[in-house]
Amino acid sequence: MKKITLIGPIVFIILWAIISKLNIIDSFFLSNPVETFETLFLLIKSGEIIPDIIATLSRTLKAFIIAAIIGVPLGLFLGESDKIYESFEFVIDFFRSTPATALFPLFLLVFGIDDSSKIAVAAFGASLIIIFSTAYGVMNAKKSRILAAKIMGANKWQRFKHVIFWESLPETVIGLRHAISMSLIIIIVTEMFIGTNVGLGHRIIDSQYIYSIDSMYAAIIVTGILGYLLNYSLLFLERMYVHWAGK
Amino acid sequence: MEPIVINKLDKSFKKTKIISNLNLTIPKEKIIAFFGPNGCGKSTFMNILSKIIKKDSGTIENFNYEKDDIEYVFQNFHESLFPWRTNKENLAFPLQINKSTNINQHISNIYNKYNFDIDLNLYPYELSGGQKQFLAFLRAIITNPKLLLLDEPFSALDYENSFLLSDKLQEYYLSNKPTILIVTHNIEEAVYLADQIVVLSKKPTKVLAKIKNPLPYPRTLDTLRSEEFHNIKNDVLRIFQSEVKL
Repeated sequence: MKKITLIGPIVFIILWAIISKLNIIDSFFLSNPVETFETLFLLIKSGEIIPDIIATLSRTLKAFIIAAIIGVPLGLFLGESDKIYESFEFVIDFFRSTPATALFPLFLLVFGIDDSSKIAVAAFGASLIIIFSTAYGVMNAKKSRILAAKIMGANKWQRFKHVIFWESLPETVIGLRHAISMSLIIIIVTEMFIGTNVGLGHRIIDSQYIYSIDSMYAAIIVTGILGYLLNYSLLFLERMYVHWAGK
Repeated sequence: MEPIVINKLDKSFKKTKIISNLNLTIPKEKIIAFFGPNGCGKSTFMNILSKIIKKDSGTIENFNYEKDDIEYVFQNFHESLFPWRTNKENLAFPLQINKSTNINQHISNIYNKYNFDIDLNLYPYELSGGQKQFLAFLRAIITNPKLLLLDEPFSALDYENSFLLSDKLQEYYLSNKPTILIVTHNIEEAVYLADQIVVLSKKPTKVLAKIKNPLPYPRTLDTLRSEEFHNIKNDVLRIFQSEVKL
């Protein structure tokens, strides 16, 4: 990490400390950074927050993997044919524009109140993003490369396997990065409102109920770090395996 | 491969007529250069010959060549190389598609024979414009096609590298005797390389003249200085001049 990237977080924490010190916002709603980081340190040291992190991470990854397994092939299939895509464009756009959280009740009815309904609703929301990005990548594949492959004798399947799939990959990976963030968002919200005994969303809402504001902020920070790391790992994989994007 | 005989070829895009009543016989195992004003439909003609697009009407005889009989280097060649494959894997692609055996051997043979300065372990986006052009050329000849179409093959090259590629192209032509069609807007390139220069009209394209160039291969820098070269070039220029009214 470059030193310059530390400036933003340091300025942010200093501003936070000033606002809290000058009591610009009631300390009941905004704890000061020192107390928050102390609480965070204690939560980690005692191991109390670890099961929450593991639970949220595991639900998010499960939802993301299911979304990718469904979304990537479906996006490739839809993007391959303009006619098929146009037939389904309205349905995909409709569900993409509908907040997945609005479908909680439906998923609760189908999957029950355990983890599977949380994972299913997050996978649903994330898969729509992946389908759209992948299909977009396929549809915008460079025609000259597909033609070159055709002239070199590649049949439809070979053109798809050797050219179109690779052409769509940069867009697919962008979709995967958005999708993992969306999975985390939906998992956190479901942990808050569908109910669970463990999970960062559960810890955030529980801390708020009992007015343990330090603990609430500590859990929010951990959630933020988790989201950042998930996004960053995909970015890392993207740079390694899609090194040729835009070139 | 027999001569390709084109009769009354027509092609329009929407309401614009690109090619009109084009008649031409493309002799086998010769280098034919197509020379004409910019935007006259040279590339459209090549696209029809490579079966990328369909003709509207007219006939083309001996047009039943197989997929691996023909290779085509596009004008926008850098967008036809595959950036997710290394340069070596790019060369391997047509061989894989045609299910060739000994792919590595094949690549090292052609690489050593033509001896372009390209690092095969890099990716196309790590090459200069000229090196990409060489790579696209090598990829086109690696399957030893009977018909090779080159659309502005020297567009990304400086003067020195143009001669280098011309030399390699002649070397390939003399050892394998394919039919080579070159589209160019550079009169010198056309005369330098071709057995026959086909001068095309403005849109809608038709054939204005077919000028033979009997100078022997391999042609060299000395050819450029010869009187015959200049005479042929002047003939081409005269016809071109009357068409574009310079």
